[in-house]
Amino acid sequence: MVRNTRAVKTFRTVWMALLMLFLYAPILIMIALSFNASVSRSQWTGFTLDWYVKLFHDPAILGALKTTLEVAVVATAISTAIGTLGAIGMHAMNTGMANVLVNVSYLPMTTPDIVTGVSLMLMYLFCHVPLGKWTMIFAHIAFDIPYVLFSVMPKLRQMNPNLYEAALDLGCTPIKALWKVIIPEITPGIFTGSLLAFTMSLDDFVISYFTSSDMYPNLSRIVYSSTKLGVKPTMYALSTLMFATILILLVLINRRTKLENM
Amino acid sequence: MVQDMRLIELKGVCKNFGDTHVLHDVDLYIRKCEFITLLGPSGCGKTTLLRIIGGFEMPSSGEVLFEGSDLTGIPPYKRRINTVFQKYALFNHLNVYDNIAFGLNLKTPEQLGVGSKKEKKAEIDRRVRRMLKLVKMEGYEKRSIDALSGGQQQRIAIARALVNEPEVLLLDEPLGALDLKLRKEMQLELKSMQQQLGITFIYVTHDQEEALTMSDTIAVINGGRIQQIGDPKRIYDEPNNAFVADFIGESNILDGVMLEDDLVKFCDTEFQCVDEGFGTNEPVDVVVRPEDVMLVGEDVGMLTGTVQSVIFKGVHYEMMICGDGNGFNWKVHSTTMQPAGSRVGMTIVPYNIHIMHKATTADAVPVQQKPSKEA
Repeated sequence: MVRNTRAVKTFRTVWMALLMLFLYAPILIMIALSFNASVSRSQWTGFTLDWYVKLFHDPAILGALKTTLEVAVVATAISTAIGTLGAIGMHAMNTGMANVLVNVSYLPMTTPDIVTGVSLMLMYLFCHVPLGKWTMIFAHIAFDIPYVLFSVMPKLRQMNPNLYEAALDLGCTPIKALWKVIIPEITPGIFTGSLLAFTMSLDDFVISYFTSSDMYPNLSRIVYSSTKLGVKPTMYALSTLMFATILILLVLINRRTKLENM
Repeated sequence: MVQDMRLIELKGVCKNFGDTHVLHDVDLYIRKCEFITLLGPSGCGKTTLLRIIGGFEMPSSGEVLFEGSDLTGIPPYKRRINTVFQKYALFNHLNVYDNIAFGLNLKTPEQLGVGSKKEKKAEIDRRVRRMLKLVKMEGYEKRSIDALSGGQQQRIAIARALVNEPEVLLLDEPLGALDLKLRKEMQLELKSMQQQLGITFIYVTHDQEEALTMSDTIAVINGGRIQQIGDPKRIYDEPNNAFVADFIGESNILDGVMLEDDLVKFCDTEFQCVDEGFGTNEPVDVVVRPEDVMLVGEDVGMLTGTVQSVIFKGVHYEMMICGDGNGFNWKVHSTTMQPAGSRVGMTIVPYNIHIMHKATTADAVPVQQKPSKEA
């Protein structure tokens, strides 16, 4: 046990500050530059919101925003439906096989994005499917599903195992029991799962890059391709907004998970 | 009240889970309006039996008849049976009112005996309120389930099942999670509800006192077999075998030899008894209830011993007495206390000595359900 001398305390504070700086300095610099009146990266010439205004007048960026949201909403809706029903099915199996299945379906969360992206692209090319918005949507559905499963499975495990039987007992057919009892009981998990899926969709660059084309750019693709021509401050503004959105969503998910586990 | 009409009949019901045999060839019938308790230690198969009647499990062989017609293959939602589950299984996403109305909402207006959807709503409201009154939970309609205590959740679970006016109510250890005082209260309330509504109750418990308090009929189950069926008094006074004697109430179970009719020898002493029809010198199990051993002076007792320990139990003292000779440890209940270490005499009157055939295994005992029981 180290004694809390003044030196130790100072050391701890400095260490923590360095750690935070290391993690967040790049983002803080980017956020600061998005409010810089000058185009130059080395000079601060005053505060401005011009880059943000410009951002919302750029048709390319607005188009990419629309694509991003569209992909995220459709992929979230479909992956939530597939993931929820899949979780219910795996939960009901209740055998050794179910455990293997659950672990196999969690696996894609840990595969590197580049592997997922390249393999999906290869599959599309192999099947002669032209890359575009729908190939991107299907890719997003694929990587979103594990997040839904991951949020719904614990809710099913916590559920009183007699609930389904109670519904049957009171006159529900199995389908009605699913709709009237099981789904409402696990709704908090489904909602958390869909928020997580939505966040992952908004956030993704690598997989989208390999499964879409320049004809259907999403926001991260726009940021990436614009850096090739020298970065404009509008990109700082766009990145700042994306960072803020993801941050808010993650805080929301965190709070929900905490509430649910109370 | 209890008519000799067989509402549910189980014939040769067996249940296996893989290689585990949970129920062996169970024969049982349940009369209309009867309060029957399936009593046994945990893992004896009583809950499985209840789940077979409810339709949540299928028997591996044998059949279940409801008013004479086969129930096999009929799903739970088509049976006129409702269940109160062990951990209540209330719907957390609905409030108290909607939990109780759940089953009624699934019914058509015709099934509720009304003409239109509007009348259905009024009819549901009337029935839900009547149930809330019956379980003494009026004013709790809008409460959420998490805001209720265990005892209140219990009442709502009972109301949710009873509101559907089932022919049979299945109760799976419904009072297990309640404290002693509340449990006693609920026992009396459940019994009075059952009599008031005239519904058949099939009640599962491992608590023998609960079974004796509430039941018209008790079926004692062990190892997947019914050990004895009868009314509480018969089960208590005339246990079929050592298992039942030991499980229902406390017992001193001794090895004895039947010398002739009405004369048995145990602890090297001959006792008069009231049992006949045993073979001469047949080895038997002798059962004596702790409250039937009378403590007398050392010089006048049929048996003598030394008090080992004394525990105060409220109404009586429980004493462990080491008998002289064979050193059998007698459990004795008495309202007068003899301090540990003191010498005592013990006497047992003939009709308090219960003689049972020695069962090679518990399974070997054939169980006959009496066709009708005395009122």
